[in-house]
Amino acid sequence: MSKVGVSHASWDTYRDIEISFKVNGKEVKVKVKPYERLIDVLRNKLGLVSVKGGCGRGECGACVVIMNGKLIPTCLTLAVRADGSEVLTLEGIAPEGKLHAIQKALLDTYAMQCGFCFPGVIMTSKYLLDKNPNPSEDEIKEVLDGNLCRCGSYLRFVKAVKLASKYINEGKIFFDESEVMR
Amino acid sequence: MSSVSEYYKIVEEVFEKYKDKEFLFVGRHSQRWDSVEKIKGKALYTADFARLYSKLVYVHSVRTKYAHALVKSIDTSEASKYPGVLKVITAKDIPGINDVGYVIPDQPLIADRKVRYVGDIVALVVAEDPLVAREAEELISVEYEPLPVITNPLDVVDLMTLKEKPHVLIHDERGSDILVHYKIRRGDIQKAMREADVKVEGVYKTPFQEHAYMEPEASIAIPEPDGSITVITSTQCPFDVRRAVAKVLGLTLNKVRIVVPAVGGGFGGKEDVANETAAKAALAAVLTDRPALAVHTREESIIGHSKRHPAIAWYRHAAKRDGTLLAVEANVVMDGGAYASLGPFVPWRATVHATGPYKVQSARVDVVRVYTNNVYAGAFRGFGNPQVIFAVERQIDLLAEELGMDPVELRLKNILRVGDETVHGQKLTEEHGVGLEEAVMKAVEASRWFELRREYAEIKGPVRKGIGIALFYHGNSIGVEGADYSSVTLIINRDGSISIRTGLTEFGQGAVWGLALIAAEILGVPPSYFKIENTDTSATPDAGPTVASRTTVMGGAATVVAAYKLRRRLNEVASHILGCDPDEVVIRAPEVYCSSDPSRKTKWVDVIEQSFWLGVPLQEFGYYRAPRASWDEETGQGAPYITYTFGAIVADVEVDIETGLVKVNKIYTAYDIGKVINRIGAELNAEGGAIQALGYALMEELIHDKDGRVSNPNLSTYYIPTIKDTPEIIPIWVEAKYRKGPLGAKGFGEPSFNAVAAAIANAVAHALRVNVTELPITPERVYMMLKSKQRY
Amino acid sequence: MFRFDVYIPRDLRDALEALRIYGEEMLPIGGGTDLLVLYRQGLVKFKTLLDLWPLRSNLSYVKLEGGLVRLGALTTVEELESSELLKDKRFAGLKDACRTFATTFIRSLATVGGNVGVAHPLSDIAITLLTYDASVRLRSLDGERVIPLKNFYLDKRKTVKKPEELITEVFFSEPPNNASSVFAKLDRRVGHGMGYVAVGVYAELDNRLVKEVRIAFDSIGRPFPERALRTEDSLRGKELSEDNINRAIYEVLPKEMSRINDYRASAEYRIYLSQVLLKRALLEVGRRIGGE
Ligand SMILES: Cc1cc2nc3c(=O)[nH]c(=O)nc-3n(C[C@H](O)[C@H](O)[C@H](O)COP(=O)(O)OP(=O)(O)OC[C@H]3O[C@@H](n4cnc5c(N)ncnc54)[C@H](O)[C@@H]3O)c2cc1C
Ligand code: FES
Ligand code: FES
Repeated sequence: MSKVGVSHASWDTYRDIEISFKVNGKEVKVKVKPYERLIDVLRNKLGLVSVKGGCGRGECGACVVIMNGKLIPTCLTLAVRADGSEVLTLEGIAPEGKLHAIQKALLDTYAMQCGFCFPGVIMTSKYLLDKNPNPSEDEIKEVLDGNLCRCGSYLRFVKAVKLASKYINEGKIFFDESEVMR
Repeated sequence: MSSVSEYYKIVEEVFEKYKDKEFLFVGRHSQRWDSVEKIKGKALYTADFARLYSKLVYVHSVRTKYAHALVKSIDTSEASKYPGVLKVITAKDIPGINDVGYVIPDQPLIADRKVRYVGDIVALVVAEDPLVAREAEELISVEYEPLPVITNPLDVVDLMTLKEKPHVLIHDERGSDILVHYKIRRGDIQKAMREADVKVEGVYKTPFQEHAYMEPEASIAIPEPDGSITVITSTQCPFDVRRAVAKVLGLTLNKVRIVVPAVGGGFGGKEDVANETAAKAALAAVLTDRPALAVHTREESIIGHSKRHPAIAWYRHAAKRDGTLLAVEANVVMDGGAYASLGPFVPWRATVHATGPYKVQSARVDVVRVYTNNVYAGAFRGFGNPQVIFAVERQIDLLAEELGMDPVELRLKNILRVGDETVHGQKLTEEHGVGLEEAVMKAVEASRWFELRREYAEIKGPVRKGIGIALFYHGNSIGVEGADYSSVTLIINRDGSISIRTGLTEFGQGAVWGLALIAAEILGVPPSYFKIENTDTSATPDAGPTVASRTTVMGGAATVVAAYKLRRRLNEVASHILGCDPDEVVIRAPEVYCSSDPSRKTKWVDVIEQSFWLGVPLQEFGYYRAPRASWDEETGQGAPYITYTFGAIVADVEVDIETGLVKVNKIYTAYDIGKVINRIGAELNAEGGAIQALGYALMEELIHDKDGRVSNPNLSTYYIPTIKDTPEIIPIWVEAKYRKGPLGAKGFGEPSFNAVAAAIANAVAHALRVNVTELPITPERVYMMLKSKQRY
Repeated sequence: MFRFDVYIPRDLRDALEALRIYGEEMLPIGGGTDLLVLYRQGLVKFKTLLDLWPLRSNLSYVKLEGGLVRLGALTTVEELESSELLKDKRFAGLKDACRTFATTFIRSLATVGGNVGVAHPLSDIAITLLTYDASVRLRSLDGERVIPLKNFYLDKRKTVKKPEELITEVFFSEPPNNASSVFAKLDRRVGHGMGYVAVGVYAELDNRLVKEVRIAFDSIGRPFPERALRTEDSLRGKELSEDNINRAIYEVLPKEMSRINDYRASAEYRIYLSQVLLKRALLEVGRRIGGE
């Protein structure tokens, strides 16, 4: 079988752009290509694989993160745009060993199926709860409308956001992992 | 042969032992082993491994321009020279056999002689950057000789005669584009038709449905130093993928290792397409000696993997004035698209269930599956059953209308109960567990059927309401389709924790967790002690494919066998420690004590430690093979499945008659799944299946244009339900236990989809007083139905 | 080519200079929610993108000044939706358009300028802005041009904007107190959808008398949003009664509207649905102005 090699240096004529931004509270500096999408940089260069690619077209919500307080699809965001920003992904929503109220609530409502949509669902729910700690059922559905879940855990998402809202209003934002009902 | 009787005996013995007991874990709420890692975003899905390989290359598929054409020549020389491209692979580079067909070898991995649908691949570009690969694609020139494109299955066969029509063959090498033809022949149809008081007849159409699992297909292949290959892939059937990769590479099975990490949904769609993605990655890895990633974009996923078979079904039902069903006649044409995929099996299941869960004295059923140039059709939750359920349940409602009977009354008059024979002559006994009547009664009561049926009929104005019912049965596991076996290894570790290994994969709905609950119950150890290991063909035993709602029934039975044997051994050890009879040993991990004297007790970990030193094996392999099913090819008589799951669905809808938009308000799902093992899993499955079926009923339809191109290959044109479309779903459980099943369980993966669309269709028909014959019921179809109703 | 470079401008002038230098090889990117999807499908080609995001410090605003409502081109749909201005019932249609626009995370990127710039039937903000008779402000190194939105589109994905121009603002006259608007679309699912048909209606009523009415659809024949001028005419100066509405939608609208058949819907249904949605929108705008 013929093995094929390629000289590394030759093909890549596009420049590197160094960007620095804050991810999950930590300053990072990373070299990106002008055509690179934020999703690929977060996943492949920073190892934040909770950011999932479900469509690459802004249609599914699997890749959303919170950037400067806004919920954005990283599949439609150029990586260079992250320069100087503050990005929060699922990896950063709770301190080590802890769960955020929305994570706890999703476990308490037994919402888990394949889990692929969950990072997006959690980030969207957190975005909502940050803006509105007491969302109504309609408001929850309105905000989560773009997060597709083909396994169909939707009814539990609504319950979980309400439960998380209750936790947060009781001042319980973080939970020990050991508090999860087994 | 003694071992054969042994596993049957064990499963039945355990059933008897537990049947009246209160369960500790089975049927109760519990947190899946993987839910915390998933909730933290730590669970790794296939594409998440990519970053671990620094020399990774990307495999880009170059797909055909035409849906049907001969490939005259292909020139890849320019593309091969493009900077950043490592290799362009065509059919001639394949070292083994160029085929990834799932059941029959009709599907080349890379088209050589001809292309048959828009997803066919003509070359693979392997490059260090996926964008470079796409750029190089534009330098490949392929010379095609276009052939006529067939997108309508009725251009291949006639619906009424089922004879093949003259056309340019898609599979010329087979000599016919009819893949299979299945039949049921029972009773004297002519006589029944003559004697009938009423007959109803109709043609029913259902669309291509896309699985739209959120994780697109992905495979990463890693070449190993000894010439073997490891492939990480998103699949439901790792052992089948192993076979396909070995075949394409020309390797023996033990040189191919398939590892399945977390899988982001499958629903039947990840049965055969993984053969393709894994083989693509493996081929690229072998030819470049680099780890290779093949991941589908959403558009590729939609045009490049199997779909639910569309069906066109002609039905005629005949009954007596009192509602007794006399006869059913049906011709069903299923559009299989370009390749067989699971096409030999799907129409068979459709055939078996073609008359619905009713007593039918006479029947003539013919089901054919044809090739077209559409995207190929294969497995999808329900597997041929939803298509015929839609037709049958619409027919039953028409019959009720014709007879002036309530749809529920008419159904109750004809449904299968214990002692009845199915249309195949299979006698249903107490042992099978037949809970259909109870399911109907419970769904009717919960939904206030009789009251609302009258009330809604009175509604005037722009928003109408309707309530509809649909019933189904669903044969468990794979019946006569193939070798129906399963296996599980239970391993108790030195610290008392337990590992489960099985080739059944977890692709989202938590079915595999049911095995842990069964083992937990039998061993007396809480589910939190369990971990289910990722499927790995080099470590987990072949358990057959994860399809056909098999996990709980088949995998569960194998688990019962393994857990039972382990428990017997542990009871022996504990009895030595505690000094009471083995039968008196109670395990309630972390405690172990004697039932006669609970103060005599020890610890679970101590029993395990003792067993270790005593040389008592702490692992056990459980194997189970389903009792043989039978089927006569000419008459469809026999016992096609070991048992059946039953269900009754009631849908409550409203329709805006000005715009035609249908909104589902409530769905009552009453299922007889035997003993409910994994309650959370069952609930989630009932909800998820209902939502997918709501999509099938109202919005989902993959559309091909006349050239065979997909008009809606993404998620903003192919609509699936969102959180706003989701109605209230009220699950109701009936537990008519299957004595030969694990603790009395039956299968439930697919049935959760089956009859929901039919119930919604019947509800819309009730709301509008129209005959619904086609899915999905889009606003435009409602508009057209209302318009033609006004005309007559 | 699928790889490209990005130019990150310091300010508007720098951006305009870049456009002049790079010419047609450069495309401006706002939110990118349209452009990057087309790019992915291989439907647009460019060598360099001009990132407009740095211009947001000056070009993202929602203002009411000197009788003009002014929307910065880089205002996102989310910012527009949550603006003070949109609490006013006179802008209720804009609120509808924002609320039903795509999804939470698309609204945080999609810009007003981009929506006007796509020149495609499915541009909800542009449809609504047409009902306000808005104008588009274009800037290039040569200066500024103002083009009424109704004259802005030439064809599908073609506008009068030159490659070296940027959209900087969309503006329209402040509506009087007796005005309001409605935007509506409908698709096969309840959740977010692009709409088989989308309609915007703006009206000023004196009691029930239609002083002014403007109606825009995603398409009335050509493949971009346009006003239904004859239907408007048939209502202007009349009472906003069910009869007059029926006459407008059944007798006038079909004469000026033609629709396409495609895989999503037939022309027949699209026209029918346009009638239903227009009627509902007209009734609703009446209710809104009446303070109901
Ligand atoms: C999932 C999804 C759902 C969507 N749903 C909707 C919907 O419900 N309603 C709707 O109307 N649209 C919808 N869209 C389309 C899209 O979001 C809108 O058209 C959006 O307003 C485009 O704005 P943008 O800033 O993202 O434009 P871009 O994609 O950045 O640009 C669009 C075009 O305008 C040009 N352009 C942008 N800004 C300027 C400027 N300031 N000056 C000159 N040229 C400029 C660009 O060069 C490009 O040609 C949807 C898109 C997606 C992906
Ligand atoms: S991957 Fe970004 S929205 Fe789907
Ligand atoms: S849990 Fe599988 S897609 Fe949501």
